Amino acid sequence: MLQREGLSGTDSNPTTPILELRNVNKTFGSVTALRDFHASVALGEFVTVVGPSGCGKSTLFNMVAGLEEPDVGGILRFEQRSVHASDLLGRVSFMPQRDLLFSWRTVIDNAILALEVEGVPRKAARAEALRLLPEFGLAGFADHYPHQLSGGMRQRVALMRTFLFKRELMLLDEPFGALDALTRAMMQRWLLDVWQKNRRTILFITHDVDEAIFLGDRVVVMTARPGAVKLEQRVDLPRPRSPDIVTSPAFIEIKRTLLAAIEEESMKSFTAATSTEYAQ
Amino acid sequence: MSRLLRAPSREVQRGLIGGLMLLGGWEAATRLFKLPAYVLPPVSGIVEAIVERRAALLAAAGYTASEALIGYAIGCAVGIGLAMLLALFPRPRRAFVSMATAVNSIPVVGYAPLLLLWFGTGIASKIAAVAFAVSFVVFISTLSGLDRVDKRAVDLMRSFGAGKVSILWRLQLPTALPLIAAGMRVSTVRSIIIAIVVEMLGAYGGLGWVIYQAVMQIDFVQVWAAIFVASAISLLFFNLIGLAEWKLVFWR
Repeated sequence: MLQREGLSGTDSNPTTPILELRNVNKTFGSVTALRDFHASVALGEFVTVVGPSGCGKSTLFNMVAGLEEPDVGGILRFEQRSVHASDLLGRVSFMPQRDLLFSWRTVIDNAILALEVEGVPRKAARAEALRLLPEFGLAGFADHYPHQLSGGMRQRVALMRTFLFKRELMLLDEPFGALDALTRAMMQRWLLDVWQKNRRTILFITHDVDEAIFLGDRVVVMTARPGAVKLEQRVDLPRPRSPDIVTSPAFIEIKRTLLAAIEEESMKSFTAATSTEYAQ
Repeated sequence: MSRLLRAPSREVQRGLIGGLMLLGGWEAATRLFKLPAYVLPPVSGIVEAIVERRAALLAAAGYTASEALIGYAIGCAVGIGLAMLLALFPRPRRAFVSMATAVNSIPVVGYAPLLLLWFGTGIASKIAAVAFAVSFVVFISTLSGLDRVDKRAVDLMRSFGAGKVSILWRLQLPTALPLIAAGMRVSTVRSIIIAIVVEMLGAYGGLGWVIYQAVMQIDFVQVWAAIFVASAISLLFFNLIGLAEWKLVFWR
């Protein structure tokens, strides 16, 4: 009986990796964005990535989204197979920092963009998106245009577009970075809710340590540039997580560890800073 | 539609008032200084002439307008089409753009005799001249419109597995639409001017031909009547395209 519980315990912490990076380097001219980067993400896991500005987080994401190849010698494995980054185009659902909604498309037509690209007939795609609108807090807004929406709503449309591109692995690059604190907290809870229902693998970049702990099963702290993994921290807080968990001792303990690591790296990148490093 | 029926905006009102003042001043000056008609006929005389000769002027206007419109349509299609092709296959872009710019810098009057030689004195030569000039403007504005696309949006499309054609159709063309429309709007007036200029060099009809004939007969009221009609169709054309632009690029 006890053993069984132990087994199901490991089941809820799945170890089948969907994504693995080994010895990954990426240089742009004289700048090394990533050096000897190792990471792996398990199926169904919610992994958050934090690190100082300009540490190569976005380079990492662009690579996993298939937009940039790692330097020769780096190993990229997806669904247990070695792949080129470009093989990942169309196989990972990617949400960039800015919402990048198309101003000439309505909410519903923005949401179905990826489905349309895949060749799903518009009518079917729209019907599918319409059913999802209430869950994304957009009920009644199907025919609005992006300029008529608030920042939080635009972000939800962008998330919906990413969700409708049904891929096992989702990459979210600071999706709530531009939102005010209140909206942000609401969006975090909402995202956890949606994730718990759909159970997809999420890799999530953020600047915000609280956000990283609150959302993640595991937090990856990156070093200052060149980016590498500084620290990996499991977050064993029970789910579903309520907002007041951020004041619990366990949360604060994790936060202390992470902050210390980030502080060290931030100092490094600050002292090494040239003016170019401030440009995101 | 409701916005069309509303009272004209302040800008439109000012424009109308300005136009009326200009015409009023013109009328007053010709009467006050007793200017001879070959220097400057009074507005009332020109309007009278337009009403009197309306059948001939209308026929000429229709002739010129159809040349300009056909040439304009061909020019827009060619300009947009070429820019799209270069967006898909960018290799010859630089060579092509500098060649087009060089050819376009030759004034119409320079090559119009050649067009008359190649396409005849009928409407074909005018259509060719208009199409050529319009296609260049629309080509350049479409090209820069397609360039304005946000690289991050392109990356997003690529991450969805979209190919070049899909990106062009779903992202680049809509992004370029405001600039394409602006180029098309500017080209309206140019198309009428070019049709008239080429007509003056040789034609069987049209406003340019009317003007040329009237000059030969020292009938300056007729010249002015034709000019008035030409500017009326230019304004109409310009505003129709402007209206279409305003409807189409609704998100600005």
